[in-house]
Amino acid sequence: MQVKYLDLPRQFQDSELHRAIARIFTHCQFVLGPEVAEFEAQFAQVCNTRWAVGVNSATDALFLALKALGVGPGDEVITVSNTFIATVGSIVATGARPRFVDVGSDYNMNPNLLEGVITPRTRVILPVHLTGKPAPMPEILEVARKHHLFVVEDAAQAVGAAINGQTVGSFGEVGCFSLHPLKNVNAAGDGGVMTTDSEEMVNLLRQLRNHGLKNRDKIDFFGYNSRLDTIQARVATYHLQFLEEVTRRRQKNAELYDRLLADLYDEVVIPPRGGDVKQVFHTYVIQVERREQLIEHLTQHLVETKIHYPIPIHLQAPCREWGWKPGDLPETERQAQRILTMPIHQFLTEAQIHYVAETIRNFYRR
Amino acid sequence: MKVKFSYLQEQFKDYQVYLERIAEVVKAGDYTLGKAVSDFEQRFATLLGAKYGVGVNSGTDALILSLKAIGVGPGDEVITTPNTFIATVGAIVAAGARPVFVDCTEEYVIDPDLIESAITSHTKAIMPVHYAGVPADMDKIMPMAHRHGLPVIEDSCQAIQGALNGKCTGTFGLTGAFSLHPLKNLNVWGDSGIIVTDSEQMRDRLRLLRNHGLQNRDEVVIFGYNSRLDTVQAAVGNQLIQEIDWITATRIKWANKLDQALRELPDAITVPERRPHKRYVHHLYMVQAKDRDQLLAFLQDRGIEAKVHYPIPLHLQRAAYRLGYKEGDFPVAESQARSIITLPVHQHLEEPHIDYMVDNIREFYQ
Repeated sequence: MQVKYLDLPRQFQDSELHRAIARIFTHCQFVLGPEVAEFEAQFAQVCNTRWAVGVNSATDALFLALKALGVGPGDEVITVSNTFIATVGSIVATGARPRFVDVGSDYNMNPNLLEGVITPRTRVILPVHLTGKPAPMPEILEVARKHHLFVVEDAAQAVGAAINGQTVGSFGEVGCFSLHPLKNVNAAGDGGVMTTDSEEMVNLLRQLRNHGLKNRDKIDFFGYNSRLDTIQARVATYHLQFLEEVTRRRQKNAELYDRLLADLYDEVVIPPRGGDVKQVFHTYVIQVERREQLIEHLTQHLVETKIHYPIPIHLQAPCREWGWKPGDLPETERQAQRILTMPIHQFLTEAQIHYVAETIRNFYRR
Repeated sequence: MKVKFSYLQEQFKDYQVYLERIAEVVKAGDYTLGKAVSDFEQRFATLLGAKYGVGVNSGTDALILSLKAIGVGPGDEVITTPNTFIATVGAIVAAGARPVFVDCTEEYVIDPDLIESAITSHTKAIMPVHYAGVPADMDKIMPMAHRHGLPVIEDSCQAIQGALNGKCTGTFGLTGAFSLHPLKNLNVWGDSGIIVTDSEQMRDRLRLLRNHGLQNRDEVVIFGYNSRLDTVQAAVGNQLIQEIDWITATRIKWANKLDQALRELPDAITVPERRPHKRYVHHLYMVQAKDRDQLLAFLQDRGIEAKVHYPIPLHLQRAAYRLGYKEGDFPVAESQARSIITLPVHQHLEEPHIDYMVDNIREFYQ
């Protein structure tokens, strides 16, 4: 049996989707057409925020959010090191420096360590809802308030996730989401969206994404070109209607994995679940013994796996130049040696998950 | 009769042929830096006689990444013109540098004789704009830049297939930045851009910069950005690039016809001198008109979508306040801003449309 990590061709073969795109050709407004506003309104509703602003990518969403908060050279932004490079790249792009804090067993920012890394230069705390699990926002917000810091959420992997019913993207000043083809709600290319409850922020963000233009001829400040393409907005709107179903299937897949792998607790560590947290399982990440051999075994049995990510950002070449070294973030580094991402997408069958679990079991029990 | 400025609905009346190309992308699930992107880069570079093409998210980003690739940053100055689309100047500011303006010539491009006096010890690059599809005087600019050891980044966003003595605009400098925005002569279905260069080193650096500085999936060598040409947009570009010779020839044909007719109104209309060694590709057909605002209103009333690109030069925008320029600093650009008018010359017009425009302009001045 083959278990692919993802199945995009299957998701995009829907002829309804093609009809939805065809509508754009009745007006041909490929840049900031009415479909963008339509998507923004629906996305804001899903996130329980007042507004959403579509941009070119989640990288740009983070970058523009930081810019809108006035982050620049000389400032520091606190984030985690076990994330996709874009989180840190967007900080560096503003001219600020990233400052890393270690994570907990749930792979997310450890709020107890936050105060230890705040300096007079710190402007923003930027937690990542990695794997689709919300970071501990109430604890993070408490620290932020105490120290008068802004919070920007990297929710690129976590659309629909929630704590106690409050959705991610609605905790901080701005929430940043990705619509990249591999995400739970996706476009057919790069796309991103920001959420906010602040009217001042939404106006600033809209102007920043469109060259700082106030209208066709007047420019208030210099901005960027980072607009969500109309056509991508249409694709994402189409997929947004299936978000609940996609999330439910991913949760179901995760529960089945959890159950089937439970008795391998000596070799396979499943991160903590439950409580008041709604996880959306963009990725299903476990920690395993003898990882490289297990990957080989799974590959031989046609099971595709990935590692998100084998090298923490603080140990990537450009951060090493700033003095970061092995040992600085022990939990992050330990996890990087052991984490493994299993296929979790919505098109998997129960039989496939049984097969994957069985293949893992055979590896450890042979 | 209606003479529309935008022709997208006519251009994409038969969008099925493009959707078939996109279907190939969908079948492969190949949405990020897929095969269509490298195909398009190759075709585009070949079309212009450049060695390499690097597809990015927009013409704006093509400029920003070019500046970043040569190390432009805070404290540096970049020389350009104030009569351009905001993105030229926005890109310089985004790189952290200071834009230094030089006035333009009667044909709306940077005055090569004024550049040298604007060079200071902080100058890091010269960025001529082939504005409206008019090739800047690269034959004068290049030797002078060479003498001062300054790299030239060409803003060719409006000048696909423009040329001087048969050599294409965008291939004179270290890089040439192009836009594929829906309103450009060669367009796609959303924001997109491409950079051409003959330098292997620049190509490699630009490829890193557009894709998070990733050397491979897991290793980051520099901090970069997310600015990739979408595969689906490249698929549209691959189809349309086959028509570019016809597009360019048709625009030149209509422009020549307008030139001839409008030169018969020398008291009212100033047509810029056309130099035989230049190929003007007329992204915008711009002339200077007496009583411009009244003419504009008159033509619009007659169903002719004339425009002004742009009524406020960049140095007088609120965004440029901190640069310290004032009215009177660039007399040619300022005087043109009061008299320029843009007439439709796109490839989907027919001869009667051109005659209708000429008749109405004549009638206005009678």
